[in-house]
Amino acid sequence: MSDWRYHFSHNLGTLTAVGLFVLMFGIYIGNHEAGLNPAVATTAANKAVLLALVAMAQTLPVLTRGLDLSVGMIFVMANCLASAIVVGTIGQGLAGCIAVLFMGLAAGFINGAIVVYGRLQPIITTLATGAIYYGIALWIRPSPGGDVQYDIADFVTGQLFGTVPTSLVVLLVVVLVIWIPYRSSVLGRGAYAVGSNEQAAYMSGVPVDRAKIAAYALGGLIAALGGLILTFNTYSGEASAAIGGTYTLNSIAAVVIGGTSLFGGWGSAIGSIFGAFVLRTIEDLLFVFDLPPLWQPLFQGVVLLVAISLGAIRVFRIRNRLELFT
Amino acid sequence: MIRRLMRVLTGSVAALSFATAAIAGPEVVSGPGVQPECFAPLAPETKFLKFPKKDGPYRIALANGFVGNTWRIQMIKTAKAYSEQADVAKDIKEFKVVSTGTDVAAQIAAIENFINSGYDAILTIAVNPTAFTPVIKKANKAGVVLVAFDNTFDSDEVIQVNENQFQIGVINGSWIRKNVPNGGKILEIRGLPGNSVDRDRHLGIRSVLEAADAPKYEIIEVVGNWDDGTAQKVAADAIAVHKKFDGVTVQGGSTGAVRALMDAGHPFVPVAGEAENGFRKLCAENADKGLICSSAGQSPGLVAIATKTAITALQGEVMPQFVSVPIPLVEHPDFKAGVNFFPDLTDNFFNSNDFPPCGVNILATDIMGKSETDN
Repeated sequence: MSDWRYHFSHNLGTLTAVGLFVLMFGIYIGNHEAGLNPAVATTAANKAVLLALVAMAQTLPVLTRGLDLSVGMIFVMANCLASAIVVGTIGQGLAGCIAVLFMGLAAGFINGAIVVYGRLQPIITTLATGAIYYGIALWIRPSPGGDVQYDIADFVTGQLFGTVPTSLVVLLVVVLVIWIPYRSSVLGRGAYAVGSNEQAAYMSGVPVDRAKIAAYALGGLIAALGGLILTFNTYSGEASAAIGGTYTLNSIAAVVIGGTSLFGGWGSAIGSIFGAFVLRTIEDLLFVFDLPPLWQPLFQGVVLLVAISLGAIRVFRIRNRLELFT
Repeated sequence: MIRRLMRVLTGSVAALSFATAAIAGPEVVSGPGVQPECFAPLAPETKFLKFPKKDGPYRIALANGFVGNTWRIQMIKTAKAYSEQADVAKDIKEFKVVSTGTDVAAQIAAIENFINSGYDAILTIAVNPTAFTPVIKKANKAGVVLVAFDNTFDSDEVIQVNENQFQIGVINGSWIRKNVPNGGKILEIRGLPGNSVDRDRHLGIRSVLEAADAPKYEIIEVVGNWDDGTAQKVAADAIAVHKKFDGVTVQGGSTGAVRALMDAGHPFVPVAGEAENGFRKLCAENADKGLICSSAGQSPGLVAIATKTAITALQGEVMPQFVSVPIPLVEHPDFKAGVNFFPDLTDNFFNSNDFPPCGVNILATDIMGKSETDN
């Protein structure tokens, strides 16, 4: 197989998600009465980047054949913590941001450590830790409120040079600074190996334990960044179990639309980003089509099902269906 | 077309530029406002706002959050029915409804999208009272009338519409005090914990029953989550433990609470409850056996008052910043079939849909006749 064909088939999942997003966003903008202007783009970006970050965070454990049910709760916990400590001068605010990210890293590390050393199922472990993180969020912020450093918040949710939504640039920086180096590092490649076949990876000398812990810890970090940006969008924090649950479930949907296999070892965080964009655009389509209000959830569900089916398009290329389960 | 596009574009860019710029938006003026019998200020210190007058008909959007209980569904149907009434429809060019679920970021984006698209007014039930400060700023800068109702914002910069929840509690408490004048054991069935509505109604009830000059009431408190099933279960449990109550207050799920009394063979006692159709049916049937009721409710018809508020504000009238909507109240012996309750409609229908001081009356048949396929 020639080089480009290999790359094409290897990234088919991601490319499908990109294509789907471009198609849907095109329909959205084509029918939007204001068209594509910086304000419309920023509104869409600010909402989409939140889910994109949580979906990226979900991708890392999924690649190791795990699942992190606590990403949404880490997101909410970061939101509540940020609404308490990202205040004051710009310098103090930035220090608060770093503290929030560090807390996300620590929460993810705890998930990973319990999965690896406690030898518990990731899905059960993170269900429990997620409840703990939600408890901490509720403890920090029993009722909605709080504050944030406005200059940082308005910068991150505004535009660069009056055109490009800053939140998209932040997402790009996360991809360049975290995802790409991680993908090519020993730990990143180890994560794929563990997800494909843990025994074989172990026998080949892959640092299995460290690869898993790193995946969960980085996931926690990225989810916390999402929570931080939510705080910038709302100027406040809220310990909402509904929001945590919604983002967790949607992050899994985004991972699937992005072409990442829930059985691990195959996929990419870039795909998940576009999977998240697709999900958000499905919501936005409600604005441009005059759907009866009580039909909207049904419409969203049908489009979501179609999108997930396209994300699973890999099935059609596989000669032997048993390959899907390896 | 191009000019409109440019206006929208420059408007939105301005709306999104840095927060240090002065905040435009409604002018703070001194009262009194227009039609004070309908748009009553919540408190004497409530501010009055005046938006620049715009020519109609207007484009109005409803950015709803959660949709999935009967109250919200009835609210959406009411909004449609009201916007199609002849004297309202002439002022409305477009009425658009979007529900975004419980995700606060999605609701913020929904409101921003309506601002970007140049809607004149946006109605919303906030999923969270504190998260909308940046959106409020953007709406005010863009000159959009943002009206929050039911679950309101913690803000004094936009118009909000709600019933005075403390007052509903006072009404409930007063009914018990009037009909159980010598004190006794009262069952208080509360709503969803942690919610401001639950808190305010509870405090209202207690302010009457625990007043210094009140007779001695022993109040047993249970949590019914504003839900018929839950209210019925907790009421049944309380009756099993305490055997006999002299009165009941229930914030929501009133039909279930009364059914619990009936199932346990508990004698009928005075009940102060919400405005569900099933509750009023039972009250009317059993009044002669001692089930004397007071029924005051948070009406899904609030959306109609919010719509009327938005239209009036767009017409450049002076409005209170917080409109306290008259509480729709029916008490024994005023329950009348076909007027304030409907034997043919489901138990879950919320009855209180007319607000005479505002000239707003939406017939139950109009609401329920709005099939979901009508848009």
